[in-house]
Amino acid sequence: MTTLAARWVHRNLFAKPFDAALSLVIIPLLAWAVYAFGHWALVEAHWQVVGGSFKVLLTGIYPADQLWRAWFSVATLCAMFGAGLGLSVRPARAAMVAVASVAILIAAGVAAAIDVRSGLLTAGSAALGIAAWVGAHRSGVDQRIVLSGLLAGVVAIFVVLSPPGFEVWGGLLLSVVLTIAVSILTLPFGILLALGRQSRITSLRVISTAYIETMRSVPLILVVYWIWIIVPLLAPDTSVPGLLRGMAGFALFFAAYVAEYVRSGLQAVPRGQIEAARSLAMSTWTLNVDIVLPQALRVVVPSLVGQILDIFNGATLVFIIGLTDFLRAGQMILADPQNSGRAYEVYVFLFAVYLAIGGAITYASRRLEAHLARGS
Amino acid sequence: MSTEIAEYHSIPPARRGLLIASKWLLQAAIVIAVAGLVIWLGLAVREALARKGIQFSFGYLGHVANFSLSEGLVPSFAVGWPALESFSPSHSNLQALFAGLWNSLKVALSAIVLCTMFGTLVGIGRLSTNWLVRNLCFGLVEAIRNTPLLIQIVFWYFAVVLRFPPANAASNWFGGLLASRSGVFFPGLAISERAGAASWGLLALAFVLLVAGVALRGLRLRLILLAAAFSALAAAAVVGFPLGLDLPVATRFGARGGFSVSPEMTALLIAIVVNSSAYVAEIVRGAIEALPKGQWEASASLGLSRSHTLRDIILPQVFRIVLPSLANRYISLTKDTSLGIAIGFPDLFNVYGTVSNQTGRNLEGVVIVMLTYLALSWVISACVNGINARVNGRRAR
Repeated sequence: MTTLAARWVHRNLFAKPFDAALSLVIIPLLAWAVYAFGHWALVEAHWQVVGGSFKVLLTGIYPADQLWRAWFSVATLCAMFGAGLGLSVRPARAAMVAVASVAILIAAGVAAAIDVRSGLLTAGSAALGIAAWVGAHRSGVDQRIVLSGLLAGVVAIFVVLSPPGFEVWGGLLLSVVLTIAVSILTLPFGILLALGRQSRITSLRVISTAYIETMRSVPLILVVYWIWIIVPLLAPDTSVPGLLRGMAGFALFFAAYVAEYVRSGLQAVPRGQIEAARSLAMSTWTLNVDIVLPQALRVVVPSLVGQILDIFNGATLVFIIGLTDFLRAGQMILADPQNSGRAYEVYVFLFAVYLAIGGAITYASRRLEAHLARGS
Repeated sequence: MSTEIAEYHSIPPARRGLLIASKWLLQAAIVIAVAGLVIWLGLAVREALARKGIQFSFGYLGHVANFSLSEGLVPSFAVGWPALESFSPSHSNLQALFAGLWNSLKVALSAIVLCTMFGTLVGIGRLSTNWLVRNLCFGLVEAIRNTPLLIQIVFWYFAVVLRFPPANAASNWFGGLLASRSGVFFPGLAISERAGAASWGLLALAFVLLVAGVALRGLRLRLILLAAAFSALAAAAVVGFPLGLDLPVATRFGARGGFSVSPEMTALLIAIVVNSSAYVAEIVRGAIEALPKGQWEASASLGLSRSHTLRDIILPQVFRIVLPSLANRYISLTKDTSLGIAIGFPDLFNVYGTVSNQTGRNLEGVVIVMLTYLALSWVISACVNGINARVNGRRAR
């Protein structure tokens, strides 16, 4: 065993003089960094600042007596995520044990930070998600049914969350719901733009290209801010909530990116497919809906899942229109003079949560890519 | 028989005319619909603004700005010739927007240079034979790419730069670099007043010779020109060198001297460089892995070391492949400077926000800002495409 370890160390860390020198510099530095961070995290840090503000971080200023609505959303999201997972990933025993233990850890953390009831609700939501995962996989339901179920889930979340008013949505809940809504909204618009850019009708092609290229050249923050400003001018009599205006800005911006992904998928469809369909006298509509798009979208699913991460990361920009997302909620906690010295705790927590969610999305995107590569 | 087929496939002239006409009608309908939508939007916004007493006009650009920016240079003709001076509230709104653009460009250009360098290093590090280096680089890249840029910017500003020591007790690195919470100070170049025309002339001569030596071909010619440049430089130093090093010093009232970078710009620049480096690293790594393995094997069989192979065989080819991806990254990076508003950096978007808040002119402002960002994107892709054509054209020859 020791010889095996020694051989591993020799081969991977000290194979050549240059590698050895690098290792000799990095190992002490890394050890020091790990020690310093560990000492800070376990001894010096006051994690109460995070634990005490969990409600603000996760839901912003959502009324405390209406929190069951937020819990409903969490459970629905878990179920949706599980069902979506069931479409592509087999619920192997190891994967389920890993997911379940992470869920138990999170639930225990929530129980310690807030109360036992919240911990149990978290565990219940996670169990629902795992059940949906296994259920969707075992029953072998049609993809279309699952996808329409996901859409229904999003609508249900909106209907349940909205009664207290859009302006009280906040925290991580706002970031997640915004991301999901925008991801869905961008799809039809982006597909239309991609088809427009490929169209044989010159004017349609020019207009779609101009839209895509303009949106891709300007910053997201400019689009979101401007849509937010311009909507009240267009509709002076109705007051459109800031959240919906923000969503419109995000959707208009990211549709251009979706269009480019879809276009790359359209180009991957062999020309023979289109020629064959045309020789069967299919109309343009049937050709696109039944022949081209199913093949094109299949190819770009990993990119579209990766795009969800861009939307989630971009959702931090809603501070510009006065909404309180996850990052903004953390900054609001730090604005309290009592907490001003606790910046590192709050930022480390925010960073860890963002990294966990972002890492999960990236992992899903890569798994899907590998899955599709194996299938073809 | 062939005429038969031709007749069978030809469309009767009357119907052909109809087909062409319907095609044109469709085109016209689409153009009219979209143009109508855009014009309706524009008119509705203009009307709404008119109701607030704001007429659509670019005249406000010439009005006095009446607000101040923490940094930014503007072109001015106050001294008789075009010169750059610091922005002040008495300048016009147009000059304010220019100062914003100047600040954006300042960050974007520095970040482009720095992220290319660091990104390449990290990208090579991801393929290192050293397990630690490889996995450290992988972890860093993933941690940065999977988190929002905004939290990185905010973290660098509030948790790092603003926690530097105050200026009067600034930490002094390597004798020349001062880091304090009121900014980072680099050694600058100072013009000494004692220098005469002779030394300026010699310096200019040295510069011209140096440029010629780099630009012209021929080894011997180059050597002669470079030697001449160095002797001119030496002569200038003997006569009395016109340029001196201006080192920043921390005093009781703050840091003084040198070339200073504001804390906002420091944080924004660090955040964008670190973030973009991660993306550049992925681009470079992908390109290195995409090269045929035979390249490595061939140079190994010729007895070249790994670092030698990387420097002389792999990287020159990699830079030909990565240029289009790098252009996309540079454009994203330039757009990312607009997040500076979160930490109060007066970039183009921030100044646009201030100007339109003050004047209520969102429509005109957004047109200007959009066109500016479009122009920036075009300039960046044109530059990179130019380099790309040059580099790849040479290979074809």
